[in-house]
Amino acid sequence: MDIKKIQWGELATSALIVSIISGLIVAYQYEVSEPFISTVAIDGLLPFGRFFRALHFYSSQFFVAFVFIHTFVEIKKRDISSYPPWRWFTLTMLLPASVFALFTGYVLRYDATGQSAGAIAEHLIAKVPFVGHILDRFMIAIPNEGLNRVYLLHIILTVILWGLGTWYHTKKPIVSKTSFKFTVVLSIATAVVFSAPMDEPGLNVTLIKGPWFFLAVQELLRYIPPIFAGIIYPITPVVILAFLPRFKDQTSIWLFLYMWLISYIVCMLIMWLS
Amino acid sequence: MTRRSFLKNSFWLVLLSIGAYPLYEFVVSKRIHPPKKVRIHKHLLPGQYIGYPKFYLFETQNGPIAVSRRCTHLGCTVNYEPTLKMFICPCHQSRFMWNGKYISGPANGKNLARFQVKVLKNNEGYVVLVPRGA
Repeated sequence: MDIKKIQWGELATSALIVSIISGLIVAYQYEVSEPFISTVAIDGLLPFGRFFRALHFYSSQFFVAFVFIHTFVEIKKRDISSYPPWRWFTLTMLLPASVFALFTGYVLRYDATGQSAGAIAEHLIAKVPFVGHILDRFMIAIPNEGLNRVYLLHIILTVILWGLGTWYHTKKPIVSKTSFKFTVVLSIATAVVFSAPMDEPGLNVTLIKGPWFFLAVQELLRYIPPIFAGIIYPITPVVILAFLPRFKDQTSIWLFLYMWLISYIVCMLIMWLS
Repeated sequence: MTRRSFLKNSFWLVLLSIGAYPLYEFVVSKRIHPPKKVRIHKHLLPGQYIGYPKFYLFETQNGPIAVSRRCTHLGCTVNYEPTLKMFICPCHQSRFMWNGKYISGPANGKNLARFQVKVLKNNEGYVVLVPRGA
């Protein structure tokens, strides 16, 4: 198999479709008013619940992974300067949107990790200058609204990702049979072998590790003020990527992005190993 | 940009702002919720404590104290470590004394909040008032 011929974008769309279908199935038994209890029931009591939740979890993970690989491969392969600026900006915003959609999924299960992830996200968003409070009310607001808004955002983001990623980006809302079959088999096989993570109830631990993509930020938040560690540091590469076609010195920019990525991986490993 | 297109864009911008205002007001407004009353039908002796998802209640010589479990750094739920008699935040390792006083970590000097506690008649227990959003 020639790795260069892999259509990562198609795989990402396929994984998103699997994630949407499995998410709809899980939603039949998920209760936003009792998030933790209903998730435990899905996992432990309902027939095939553990499988469907794992399918939703892993297909979503594959989606985000494929989207990032697709972005990197295509940027390296194509001449991105030909992209209209607004179109390029919109597409790059799908990267943080996909991570945020994944993140809201972690919060929605509302175990110890989910609760902490939600609380941290809320505090970080509220720290955004001028519009933090408004963003929090629109997107999270857990103390006052429970998980209603997080659930709504989870669904809205998925619709946006599918809509913009297909109709707007490729003009193809569906994918080739080969890509779809591959993603379905990959997601099902993973879901059969591995369960989706879930903390035990009443856990009294001294260290909770957040979602894997959040570990670096979690580590930095121990030492650096939230506005830098939780907002400026993670959005810097997104902003650079959004304006990438406009930079004349692409080599320096890529050097900076690689340096950022290395710093992120190092922080992630420190947190993961602690 | 021509004068015509400027006026046209401005018109749409104004229209969008007018349309966005009701949406903003609707979503951002908070419904008022009264504090949640947590009844504890257990009498504690000085030095004893009991843990709940939102707080820990400690009985002292000077009366009961309800300490919030919401970390003052970024809102994670702190856990009580009885051997050390302190709260530890599992997210970023801030530490607080049993009475909520800040010890170390990124919470940066901010103590844990305390909730209002009422002692029930005949020492039958307590009512803790947990503010919504706490």
